[in-house]
Amino acid sequence: MSENMKSILSLLIFPGGLAVMAAGMIYEYIDRKLVARFQNRVGPRWFQPLADFIKLLAKEEVIPEGIHPVLFQWLPVVAIAGALTSALYVPMFGVEPAFHFTGDLVVTIYLLSILTLCTGLAGANVANRFSIIGATRTLTQLFSYEAPFLLALFGPAIAAGSWDIAVIEQYATSHPWLMVFQPIGFLVALIGLMGKLELPPFDAPEAETEIVSGALTEYSGRGYALFRLGRSVELVIGLTLVAAFYLGGVANPLLFLAKTLGLLLIIAALQSLFARLRIDQTVGLWWRSGAVLVLLQLLVLIALKYFGVAI
Amino acid sequence: MDLPKAWEAALVDLKTWARINSPWAIHFNSGSCNGCDIEILATLTPRYDLERLGIKLQGSPRHADVLICTGPVTRQARERLIRTYEQMPDPKFVVAVGSCGITGGAFEGCYNVANGVDKVIPVDVYIPGCPPRPEAIIFGVSQLLQSLQPPKKAKNRNAIVTNPITGSTPKKGVGE
Repeated sequence: MSENMKSILSLLIFPGGLAVMAAGMIYEYIDRKLVARFQNRVGPRWFQPLADFIKLLAKEEVIPEGIHPVLFQWLPVVAIAGALTSALYVPMFGVEPAFHFTGDLVVTIYLLSILTLCTGLAGANVANRFSIIGATRTLTQLFSYEAPFLLALFGPAIAAGSWDIAVIEQYATSHPWLMVFQPIGFLVALIGLMGKLELPPFDAPEAETEIVSGALTEYSGRGYALFRLGRSVELVIGLTLVAAFYLGGVANPLLFLAKTLGLLLIIAALQSLFARLRIDQTVGLWWRSGAVLVLLQLLVLIALKYFGVAI
Repeated sequence: MDLPKAWEAALVDLKTWARINSPWAIHFNSGSCNGCDIEILATLTPRYDLERLGIKLQGSPRHADVLICTGPVTRQARERLIRTYEQMPDPKFVVAVGSCGITGGAFEGCYNVANGVDKVIPVDVYIPGCPPRPEAIIFGVSQLLQSLQPPKKAKNRNAIVTNPITGSTPKKGVGE
């Protein structure tokens, strides 16, 4: 009974559920504020993501013609469910992951991809040319960054000799920062995160100057609110993963805040520094340099491990 | 006071608060000379920074709350204006920017224009000027947001509901 209660609490309130949603909104605000400051603007007020979310929930949801209405309404729910579930296996807020088992790294990475997959399906479901172009670009981008991102997170896993996020995090905490020994992995993981979240240099899938809003053009109200919230949640989870693996772990809440906010600062700076890449440039960047470099580093790691050199 | 009613009132207050603090805009040119459009773009640039009021320019009418419309509405643009307006989900608001958007301006009486946005769709706020300065546009939008406040909190409700040139009031049946 108490075990069940504990599971439900960790699922709905802390560290999953409400706490992650609140953190997602706060991190989205910090991201927007930082980008605004970099652009010499004042930027949004602190409650802006909350106001946007409530306003979208209170708006009419237009269901366009020529679509599958059940898919249209449930894809956002599945998307945010995937993002929130992956929070349970990650050391959010510097506390132990709520659940862990061997191989949860792979499960978490796939749960994180559900949001992008749902975005693509949502765009392909709608009979709107902008949605369909956006969906194609979303899925193309998914295939380009997913493999390098996965490989970049496998680097620490090989060093720690485990597929369990909690074990890898403990290894990272007790050893010097892995960012120093695996710089390529760190860079690819951080930039892969930006690709995953469709942040500015990689925002071709929702380029508002070319294809209106990409895959989510036809979404209004609730569906759009959930997709946006899901993306904010993924921002926090992704930052936590990268900080836990490459920046020496997130052993307590203070370290968690300092490290994830530091990473967020870098991401915000990169966002305001670079202009949007075309979709073919994105794919080229990932497959020509990202994937190859990470594979090279992975091979070196495996060889070192094989010859018994301490990493 | 029974609880469900109090909850409902609180919910309405929350919705109004969110609506006032997060108006997303879409910009539509219905045959304007581009003067007003340049001023609107200037309003959105870092110097005036509308994001501090929560205003964001959206590409899709489905995501927008406020239709910022310029120009006297030519016959060509009329259908598109109506279609864009119909695509926006409720609650939605319309801001007519510039003299042409209010009465037709320099094009008033031409054979090919509808003489103002409010001849085609209901308008909530008129911003006069040829073109209006960014400060005027921000003032107009803030008047719109103030008009969404419940009556007891609104300070300046009457300031916006009449067309400054023709003196007509906007049609009912829009918004809330």
